Amino acid sequence: MESPVTNVRTARWGSYVVAFLITALMFATALYASNYFNNARINDIRATQDDISTDILSLETQFDLLAEHSCSNIGENTILPSELASLGNQLSYMEAQGGNTEEITRLKRLYSLLEIKDYLLMQQLATRCNLKPVFILYFYSNKGDCADCENQGYVLTGLSQTYPQLRVYSFDYNLDVGGLQTLLSIYNVKSAPPGRLPALVINGKVYYGFKTTDDIQKILPQLKTLQKASTSTPVKK
Amino acid sequence: MAVDLYIVYAFLFASLYFEVFLLTSFIERRFRAPRSDSNANTVLRSVAIVVPCFNEEKTIAATLSSLLLLDYPHEKLEIVVVDDGSSDRTLEIAQTYTNDARVRVFHKENGGKFTAMNFALERTSAELIGCLDADSIVESAALRKIMPVFENPLVAAATPGIHVKEPATVLQHMQNVEYRLSVFNRFALASLGSAFITPGPFSLFRAAVIRDLGAWRHGHATEDMEMALRIQDAGFLIANVPEAIVHTGTPATFPALFRQRVRWTYGWLLNAIDYRYMFGNREYGNLGLIILPSAIISIFAGIYFFARIVFFTTWWIATSIERVHATGVYPHASLDLFYVNTSALWFLIYMSVALIFTLLCAGTMIGTEGRRLPPKATPLFLLFYSFLVPLWLSAAVFRAAFRTGVRWR
Repeated sequence: MESPVTNVRTARWGSYVVAFLITALMFATALYASNYFNNARINDIRATQDDISTDILSLETQFDLLAEHSCSNIGENTILPSELASLGNQLSYMEAQGGNTEEITRLKRLYSLLEIKDYLLMQQLATRCNLKPVFILYFYSNKGDCADCENQGYVLTGLSQTYPQLRVYSFDYNLDVGGLQTLLSIYNVKSAPPGRLPALVINGKVYYGFKTTDDIQKILPQLKTLQKASTSTPVKK
Repeated sequence: MAVDLYIVYAFLFASLYFEVFLLTSFIERRFRAPRSDSNANTVLRSVAIVVPCFNEEKTIAATLSSLLLLDYPHEKLEIVVVDDGSSDRTLEIAQTYTNDARVRVFHKENGGKFTAMNFALERTSAELIGCLDADSIVESAALRKIMPVFENPLVAAATPGIHVKEPATVLQHMQNVEYRLSVFNRFALASLGSAFITPGPFSLFRAAVIRDLGAWRHGHATEDMEMALRIQDAGFLIANVPEAIVHTGTPATFPALFRQRVRWTYGWLLNAIDYRYMFGNREYGNLGLIILPSAIISIFAGIYFFARIVFFTTWWIATSIERVHATGVYPHASLDLFYVNTSALWFLIYMSVALIFTLLCAGTMIGTEGRRLPPKATPLFLLFYSFLVPLWLSAAVFRAAFRTGVRWR
């Protein structure tokens, strides 16, 4: 039987310190584990970006070597739109979680460049191989000056899920990347006056403000030529 | 938002610290402290068990029958039934037990439990006086098992191991888990000299000490907390004997549970105000420095976490509805492991739940002497009970702030 009443009134300073150290260790473990998984995610994104980067380089090389004679082969090896979209979603999630913002910004810059490269390559492919890919360039801001950007993102994600072949390229307007700034100046996309964003570039024309699914389907009738997904689950490679 | 996170982390640290402190103290005791190995030399003192009752016609017979089966010398045990103005057949049923010489039955005007206890205190010469609520039953060995702790002259009261009597509803099964956790807490607190409640089911007191301290008081409808704090204040100890087992009735429905817990928390808060000089006071050792402050912090932490969950859930639902309305796109959950929340906050919550489970296992071990596993409702308790608790905590804090008073029933 327990004897629970021996020398109990006095404060146990040693026990207080031991409990404090154990609690502090638990906090440190939680922070370490969280940091570990966040780094694992960043590494995951980095690996996917490396894969896409290699794929684009490979495609470009293949394209340069064989030109228009092997359009069919090239067509089979293009980057799947869902891959870029999935990467974009992962980056958005990481950005929302906070944490290593410097690293995430670096990854976003690389992601933007990959999108531009893919966009340019698809344009060349379309011209030379007589393909008709459907593009939307989407410019957003997350500096608090774009109330509708979040909803616009959801509309475009919904469209991407409905039409897996639709290529939506999303760009953070405020990202300091030379290639992106050039793209903005080519299409003359402006964020001023405040509240002008989101902006969509469809068939070379800029549309400002929130656009619903119906609005986009009216602007982009080619959407109907794309095959619809059998389910709403994003297509994976 | 940053302030919110600081508050959350501070509350989490305080909660984890308290759990870790109890566990480390328990482990330290378990492996270092001597175990009293025999009851052979224990003095069997004269005991009066008071059964205060008010409209308990459904349960009093079982309570009295269990008391009569106590393994204790007849000449040293008296059972004092104090009918506190019942309007049902409680008195009539109690009187059928008076053919046993150990049983005395009294009737008085309704005045509350503390008046019934004092009524009995004035009419007994027993060395120890105990209380058994009329909805509880006691195991036959309980009294003998409690006796050894009174060999220590500093011990003024002893509490038993309290278990839920015949849980039937989901809510009672969850309370069964909660009581198992309380077995651990009560034992750990007693071993730190910091028990601050002497609950109604089968707590025993030295009658002389109670008389010296001025008998029971209303104590904001929680005379068991008030008396425990007064005993601590006077420098006595409150022991706990988890092997002395008592089974008590618990509320079967949420409204009944809510009323009971609002009363408990309300009483605790107001008693804490009355005895505020004990908080942070080194003179009261562990009780003043750690236990009482932690008990108060846990109330406000529970309310804050709950309010936060309600706020963010409401906000999420509202923005989702607004988004669906604006975009026509319905949200879908992703099964991708990439999106599993691995923030430090969630790891700390997982750790806290794991720690509670550990304390529960320890409570089961000492409460059943290692014979049983934690109750089957443990997952339900861990998942849902913490969402119920803040409801009565909030109501009690509100009532305590405005001193509205509480109903006994």
